Amino acid sequence: MQTVDEFARLVREELGIPLADEDIAADLDRIPEWDSLYLLKLVTALERSTGRPLPVGRVLEARSLEEIYRLAVER
Amino acid sequence: MQPPPDRDPVQAYLASVGTALPGDPVDNAALARVLGVNEEWIDLFIGTRTRHFARDLASGEVRWSLADLCARAGARAIAAARIDPAEIGFVVLGTATPDHLMPATVNHIADQLGLDQVPTYQLQSGCAGAVQALGLGRTLIAGEGHRAGLVIGGDVCSKHLDLDRDLAGAAPSDLVNYVLFGDGAGAAVLTAEPVGEAVALRRVLNRFTGLGREPGQVIDWFGLADRYDDRQAVREDYKAIEEFVPVMAVEILWELLEDLDWSAEELDYLLPPQLSGRMTRRIHELLDVPGATEVSCVADTGNNGNALPFLQLERLLGQMSCGEKALAVAVESSKWIKAGFALEKM
Repeated sequence: MQTVDEFARLVREELGIPLADEDIAADLDRIPEWDSLYLLKLVTALERSTGRPLPVGRVLEARSLEEIYRLAVER
Repeated sequence: MQPPPDRDPVQAYLASVGTALPGDPVDNAALARVLGVNEEWIDLFIGTRTRHFARDLASGEVRWSLADLCARAGARAIAAARIDPAEIGFVVLGTATPDHLMPATVNHIADQLGLDQVPTYQLQSGCAGAVQALGLGRTLIAGEGHRAGLVIGGDVCSKHLDLDRDLAGAAPSDLVNYVLFGDGAGAAVLTAEPVGEAVALRRVLNRFTGLGREPGQVIDWFGLADRYDDRQAVREDYKAIEEFVPVMAVEILWELLEDLDWSAEELDYLLPPQLSGRMTRRIHELLDVPGATEVSCVADTGNNGNALPFLQLERLLGQMSCGEKALAVAVESSKWIKAGFALEKM
């Protein structure tokens, strides 16, 4: 997973939530299906995909999926 | 409308508490390794440090049954009360995870404890079961004239800890159960007179409030005809739990205080609902009784359901002095049950 589009696809497939492109940058509270538990699934899926551990403390503070994407790809 | 039940029936007293946690504590590093999930996530999001499992994490072998754990906790409670087991007039168990549907696990516990010719009761219940067991025990003492009885709460959640399963495809509401729960049991000897610890059980609240509401938690069970159905065995509506449990906890606190005619300032100890280390911290802040000492255990024991109030009671009794007051709040999110009880040391 490198691009934000690949990230969006991973979110849709792993979490099974319908996600519009604009939802990536939206505040997590504005995604109707979003549930804090999805973070566990997302973290697990991202770590599997990138092969690297994620800084979970910062993921929990993230307010949008885009912020989580940046945390996953930044080195 | 029916009149409210008697606010102050004949007292029952807590004479002692005994508990049993299976095996060594399992920390987040060990659990994360076995499940293939992020350890830091469990630390930060769940906030539970350790839990105990009746099932061996490496081999999957079942080391203790629920009856084994409950009998051990019961024997410790009877020994601590310094009463003759023959004085135990009844046994009540609250559990969500019985060993079998029949015989009821409470009867195996009685058998292991060498008790016979006593009435036994098993309450099929989630987190509120321990409170219901205390309430029924109190009623049996008040209404049937028993001098002493044993009330027990316990759960073996690791029945659903399927370590062979690939969790990659698991739903979040499924996955969370692997990191929230643990196993354990607790028991208390209730007496008609103040003996042993001599803590009066002043009030027990147990009320169904789930009319028309979807369950917050479901544990399914399977028989020969449906054992291969593709159904999730344990489901949590974590979003609903996060939203409603804190609000219900505050309502329970204030309802109990009002019923007892106690002020919040009079409370010496508060036993908040034990969902997870993180949720319990949040709820305790919201309950906002700064003068009362918090008595919690879930961060060390994991959420072991009906054992929790007894594990909290054990920690409470170690520090409670004469004249001090304590209040416990429990919420069962399955079908939204409000529960709690109030204690005063004589």
